[in-house]
Amino acid sequence: MSEDIIVAKGITVRYGDFTAVDDLSVNVRKGEIYGFLGPNGAGKTTTAKVLATMMTPTAGTIVIGGHDTSRNPREARQLVGVVQQHIAVDKDISVRENIIVRAMLHKVPRRLIEERMAELCEIIGLTPYMDKTVQQLSGGWKRKLAIVCALIHDPEILFLDEPTAGLDTQSRHMLWDMVRVLNRRGTTVFITTHYMDEAESLCDRVSIITHGRLTDTGTPKELCDRLGRFTVEYDGEDGRRQYRFFDSREEAKTFFDTVEEMNGLIRGTHLEDVFLEETGRTNVKALEKALRI
Amino acid sequence: MSFIDEVYRVALSDLYYLRRNILPLLATSLITPLLYLVAFGYGLGNGVVMEGVSYIAFVIPGVVSLTTLSSSFTTISNKLMVQKRFYESFDEMMLCPISKSSIIFGKTILGIIKGMMCGSILLALGFLMTDDLHITVGLVACMLLSCVVFSLLGVAAGMIVSDLPRMNLFNSFVILPMTFLCGTMFSLNALPEVVKVIIDLLPLTQTSACIRASALGWEFPWLHMVLLVAYGALFYLLALWSLRKSN
Repeated sequence: MSEDIIVAKGITVRYGDFTAVDDLSVNVRKGEIYGFLGPNGAGKTTTAKVLATMMTPTAGTIVIGGHDTSRNPREARQLVGVVQQHIAVDKDISVRENIIVRAMLHKVPRRLIEERMAELCEIIGLTPYMDKTVQQLSGGWKRKLAIVCALIHDPEILFLDEPTAGLDTQSRHMLWDMVRVLNRRGTTVFITTHYMDEAESLCDRVSIITHGRLTDTGTPKELCDRLGRFTVEYDGEDGRRQYRFFDSREEAKTFFDTVEEMNGLIRGTHLEDVFLEETGRTNVKALEKALRI
Repeated sequence: MSFIDEVYRVALSDLYYLRRNILPLLATSLITPLLYLVAFGYGLGNGVVMEGVSYIAFVIPGVVSLTTLSSSFTTISNKLMVQKRFYESFDEMMLCPISKSSIIFGKTILGIIKGMMCGSILLALGFLMTDDLHITVGLVACMLLSCVVFSLLGVAAGMIVSDLPRMNLFNSFVILPMTFLCGTMFSLNALPEVVKVIIDLLPLTQTSACIRASALGWEFPWLHMVLLVAYGALFYLLALWSLRKSN
């Protein structure tokens, strides 16, 4: 079993009376892609910022690569690269200049900067855009630049906060491929997302957070199996879609036969089912009221 | 050495920005002081003698002083606000192994360079307009000190002020009145005693007194110089406090 590179215990973040993150504990293993899933406002970004040493929690301890972030923040920070939800690069200078600036700030030896920049830009495909200003790039390329900047000091852990939000399908898949390549090079990846296909496709393990509390952790398959490997999806008596979960196809089939006339189907359970079960499905009554149905 | 190296690393993105935009940056910073020179120096002040020298000789050091303030402060406060609020690249810098003092002084470099460039251009123009001005090491040192102090004020304001409307408010109610009232355009001796005491305490008053004395060969006002350094220390501490608070 591989060692934990991030060990966070009892993380709590309060803003006045509001608790954004509530007594949350997370272990991230070295070399894995770890997904942090939750609906909007669940506390994903706050947790990621705290773990990446960008924010000090109200309570709790975080150890990154053996360094307690409250005692040795500098050492811990050197192990971390962060790509924020908003692309945090200077828009009025070029791609090359942004990367050099970030390398200089992280005190990468000058003789290594060109070499690392060339290697990372080659992997990520930024090489043809080096002399363009950031303003001239599309959203996907800006995100890739942010990733190169985050990796230029060769961190062991890469934090990606909703990296594919707002990107088109091609850009999303390119980013996923890139994350896999980086992970194969040995980088541990901590990714927050509310796209279940992204988590299912990329992550070795995932945690689900809702209202600032962790509700479940495991591999995507483990989480699906825990809920039930098979899902029967059907229209209920009130016309709303209903979901029932079963450990075997036979059990699912037996149940399905009882609701056959109700327009249903049997399928494998997806991470999205787990997510919706744990974070709550749409409040249909509220929706109907809002739409005045 | 390590401190200077860190300051350079912090300043690098702003230096790239300056290199790309030097002409528009200088042009926008110079247009207002040039208009002041023409309007007050040649227009309203033509033939007037102020504190024993021609008005144009009196007003040029004042305009240089206010330019060091406006160029340094505005450049730094606006850039920092953009990097903090819109680009969010400032947060990334806070993650890097750089001391807070290096961040503060690194962020002043753009303002210092721009303030010195604008001030030097105006001084050069001033020498063409009158024979009463002298270039001395003291004059350059005073300009440099002024740029450092007002760039530090820019860092503190960029850190503390939360948004652009509030920054505009600060500009309108603090920076703009200072540029007119602090002995830049007219002698403070003309003011009522109470008002003079208040204006005497403002940092631009110290700057214009030091720069004017150096440029016109008057007795150097050391007390003003000490007060200016004290303001620099105060602005540095304010910036440090806000940086620690934001972390």
